[in-house]
Amino acid sequence: MSSKLLLPNRFKNVGWLILIPSTIVGIILACNEFGFDWLWARVFSIANDGKDGNYMYLGIRNTNITNTVVGVFFIIGAMLVCFSKEKNEDEFIAEIRLSSLLWAVWVSYILLLIAFLFVYGSPFFDVMVYNMFTVLIIFIVRFNYIMYKNAKAVSHEK
Amino acid sequence: MKNNIRVERAIKNLTQEELANKVSVSRQTINAMEANKYVPSTVLALKIAKVFSKSVEDIFTLEKGD
Repeated sequence: MSSKLLLPNRFKNVGWLILIPSTIVGIILACNEFGFDWLWARVFSIANDGKDGNYMYLGIRNTNITNTVVGVFFIIGAMLVCFSKEKNEDEFIAEIRLSSLLWAVWVSYILLLIAFLFVYGSPFFDVMVYNMFTVLIIFIVRFNYIMYKNAKAVSHEK
Repeated sequence: MKNNIRVERAIKNLTQEELANKVSVSRQTINAMEANKYVPSTVLALKIAKVFSKSVEDIFTLEKGD
């Protein structure tokens, strides 16, 4: 089957180990809007704010990287969870995977559409931040829900 | 598409797990096919027919609307 784009199964648990803590930290950060004081660093940036409100391209800047670190871990963790094979990956699971991806893209863009229509001003910036993660989150929820339902259906059989 | 995998399995006295192993898929897949929730690929249909020593048409049949 088309498992060429999937990682080996062992990465799935690694993914959960990264995803769960970074989700917890991410939720705390989102609620409190703070940055860890010790997480400042000089970073290379392709683009950032210049001095007079213009964009500055290709430069080094000193900044708090709390969001960067949490976001990077969240995305890596979520990608490992999404794109690692199941233990018994086969064509049926591949179909569930594909349909869940389609589902995730649909739901994500419908949510974005609603937000475009009904959210204005700086709350819209928050929406954009959450929308970066919705496809991965919805995929994980829907895929695992269907897998759970199937496992349950099987356990009712002899 | 309908199938009589469950019947064929009973005749051969195979569990879902055993059939799943013979055609290298998960038990969920066999279960979903028996519940008519999943239409297998041609490759899998051929493999299943082979296990039961029958032709594919003896196990899988088209339904109205297919």
